[in-house]
Amino acid sequence: MALNQSKVGTAYPAYRYEVSREKIREYALALGETDPRYQSDGDDCVAPPTFAAAFTLTKGLMALLGDPDLGAHPALVHGSQTFRWGERPLRPGDVLDCTPRIDAITVRGRNEFLTSVVECRFADSGELAVEGEAVIVFLGSAPQDDADGAQDAAQEGAA
Amino acid sequence: MSLTFTVGAELDPISQPSSLVTSVMYAGASTDYNPLHYDPDFAGQVSPTGAPIAHGMYSMGLVSRMLTAAAGGPERVADLQVRFSKPWPLGTTATFTGTVTEVTGGLATVEVTGTAEDGQTILSGVGHVRV
Repeated sequence: MALNQSKVGTAYPAYRYEVSREKIREYALALGETDPRYQSDGDDCVAPPTFAAAFTLTKGLMALLGDPDLGAHPALVHGSQTFRWGERPLRPGDVLDCTPRIDAITVRGRNEFLTSVVECRFADSGELAVEGEAVIVFLGSAPQDDADGAQDAAQEGAA
Repeated sequence: MSLTFTVGAELDPISQPSSLVTSVMYAGASTDYNPLHYDPDFAGQVSPTGAPIAHGMYSMGLVSRMLTAAAGGPERVADLQVRFSKPWPLGTTATFTGTVTEVTGGLATVEVTGTAEDGQTILSGVGHVRV
């Protein structure tokens, strides 16, 4: 079944995420990061850029894919990912308000491409902390009428 | 030691073997527990390769590590966009490289690539660094 096009433009309820020192350490360790600030006990502790994956891709994307009216299904792959960061890295104790939304649903061949954005702002200042944009490829669910170029689209997305 | 961002400069590459250990560590760290990335029985049914593959975000994280090291810290990384084009099978080594293609208005553009052992591109993208 195809995704519901009328969901484009929908924003979902914001959720809150609190950055913790131990989660930063764990994330940096998993990537083999060597900047000592990621492991610091002091005020200089910061998070690696893609730490944002830990709260935009699971929590944010899941909120959106869980919408029963969207028509999401499990045959999906992560096609592409973009992060746009604010003026400073995340630090332990930062509290973020994160709002997921659907920016686009497009069709290529038999596959549908859902562009989801999670905008995360510092709860105290309202300034942008990070914005994550994920393109999720839903395999094989596009209407048959749009089946041109199915072979190209089958190459999309792999992770 | 950070890079001098001039057009044509190449970032210090990263070569990384993937394994069940790297996958489980990244799953825990990122809270992405999709068993496609560590459960051979599950992956056997749904993986494009018939076996567990690395998280796409693990490969993007390594690209970010390369970019951040060259930039001199996370405060200098403005954005990063990558497209995941092929799976990265566990038990193989991928190499991540980056080249500076433009420096203008206080931003350096870096084109990044992830290449599998067999020479196929698993990831490509572009990032911007504040210089």
